[in-house]
Amino acid sequence: MSAISIIPERCTGCQSCEMACSLSHEGACGSSLSRIRAKKWEEISVFIPTVCQHCEKPPCMEICPTGARKRIPETHAVVTDEKRCVGCKSCIYACPYGAPVIHPSTKRTMTCDLCKGSPLCTQVCTAGALSYIPEGDSSMERKRAFGQTLFHAMRTR
Amino acid sequence: MIKGWTGKRLRIDLSLKKAWSEDIPPADLRQWFGGRGLNASFFSQHFTSPVSADSPENPIAFAVGPLTGTLAPCSGWTSIASFSPLSDSPVYGFTRMPGHFGASLKAAGFDQCIIQGKAERPVTLWIDDGEVKFEKADHLWGKETTETTVTLQEEKGDRSIEVLCIGPAGEGQVPLANVIHRLSWTGDRLGLGYLFGVKQLKAIAIRGKKPVTLQYPKKFLDLCLSLKNQIHEGQKRRKLKAEGDSSLLGREERSSAHRRLPPGSEKQWATSLWANLSGSEGCSSCPVHCGRSVQDRGNSLAGIHLDKPWYLGPQIGVYSGEWTLKLHRFCQAQGLDPFLTASLLGRILEGVETGTFSEEDLRQMDEIEDHGEKVLTLLRRITSGGKKEFHLPAPPTSDNEDLDILADIVSFCMIVVNRLNLMTISNIIDLINGATGYALTNKDLQVTISNIRQMESRLQNKTLHWNDQTSLLRQEKGQISQILKKEERDHVSISNPTAS
Repeated sequence: MSAISIIPERCTGCQSCEMACSLSHEGACGSSLSRIRAKKWEEISVFIPTVCQHCEKPPCMEICPTGARKRIPETHAVVTDEKRCVGCKSCIYACPYGAPVIHPSTKRTMTCDLCKGSPLCTQVCTAGALSYIPEGDSSMERKRAFGQTLFHAMRTR
Repeated sequence: MIKGWTGKRLRIDLSLKKAWSEDIPPADLRQWFGGRGLNASFFSQHFTSPVSADSPENPIAFAVGPLTGTLAPCSGWTSIASFSPLSDSPVYGFTRMPGHFGASLKAAGFDQCIIQGKAERPVTLWIDDGEVKFEKADHLWGKETTETTVTLQEEKGDRSIEVLCIGPAGEGQVPLANVIHRLSWTGDRLGLGYLFGVKQLKAIAIRGKKPVTLQYPKKFLDLCLSLKNQIHEGQKRRKLKAEGDSSLLGREERSSAHRRLPPGSEKQWATSLWANLSGSEGCSSCPVHCGRSVQDRGNSLAGIHLDKPWYLGPQIGVYSGEWTLKLHRFCQAQGLDPFLTASLLGRILEGVETGTFSEEDLRQMDEIEDHGEKVLTLLRRITSGGKKEFHLPAPPTSDNEDLDILADIVSFCMIVVNRLNLMTISNIIDLINGATGYALTNKDLQVTISNIRQMESRLQNKTLHWNDQTSLLRQEKGQISQILKKEERDHVSISNPTAS
């Protein structure tokens, strides 16, 4: 099983991932249609892509009152079933990353579906911040680096 | 509505505190296909002769192209035009700004934004997804650019907002002042900071949520992906990325800098510069990422665009990377144009110009031993001096002006198109086709470029007329034609996916 690995120190805030995500899923380019969002703190040059982590024990699935959040067995992705979703936003509040976003026209939540197993955001990220790698390879070092960046961002804000 | 565009122009009158939206005729969009042409045509329609840079009617025009705010690589640039304060008599001036401002403007629902009038009190424009508010900016007046940006974002409770602002230099109407957003990307060489200062416009904050629609989304996506690879794998980009080669950018003036560099000094400068840089920053949808974050004693600071260090370094005799970054930080905080500042500093240091300094001042300056410190002291004096007469030289002209215009009219990155040559004309034609559905020919491009050049020349009162023989000759044997012929020979058009 593979996962999207994020190395925020490498993110340049170019938002190519957002454009690619919205273009491939919705046929139009715009951050508001993207399932991945690059957060920015420009005064300290910190950019952090946030996207669904497809948790092993997803709080969004536990809290969803209509059972709309479900896991796709083939890719291990946790996605929203639009037919069941009522747009109550519980999943957004429950998610530790706040990763689910509201679709501007359907008003249902949407999250990363891993593009059926080949995430486009990881292909357009020339900065090397996003990659799609086997889960075991996402090393301890990367996690520590991510923690440090978050810590730094919070402390200096 | 033509796909790729919003078809709307935002008009702002700061005197009346009014904002309204106009339709841009589809014929205009089709004719100019980009920000530079839209701006020039607006000025041509509304002004028969230049107005003073200080007058309320003098517009500041921002405009984008059909590819802005999309996945198209290097499409993050914004075209800007105004009657510039930099020359003795007002003259039509235009420039381009990298970054994310254009993409935000388009996401807010506009292809062009024209700001006229003069506010009585300092004001901030807050453009929230198509809605415009005039907000008091008294509490921001006098603040440096970082504080202005962060304060505005925190007030709105959204750090994703793009803030384009001026610093104290612009407020004090220093002609060298510029505008800055994301604290890295600047609109230079036009005196924009001065123009904002005159209008008492401290900042523009934009948030946009409207997506850019495309004519052939599938084809467009495929094109963007292959182009991204083409640029990313390009040799010159790799060289740029390689450590210590920051000087690849911003060296056009090198040959004209009469100073002979002491041996080894450039390398020493680059090494000390790179020791204080880490991480990258990128324009909207850019695969090159030519911005860097600046490190200061373990703290991360706002970034620097690699276009700039050369000018604030060896160009003015500063061979210490640390001093270059200190100078840049000063420019960044105050909102000063590094290019114009460097060229003025160079002239003062060479003794060609005294600027605002008396001979006594300059003698005192000579006593400062460290060259970097001397330059920073000069710079502080210039900023505090306020509105003074400087003789500012024209920006360096590019080797290939046609390609510059081509990049500029579709609001593309000139560095990638012209300096690094990583994108071809056929690539641009293909992208425009995918976004808007226009099937452009090479002839169309040549005609548009020639029309824009003539419009601009007329606005600048230069003697270039519709029937000008030299311009016809250029069109016939121009660089664009030569490049196109070469491209045809090399078959470099990278892909022709079927339209979806």
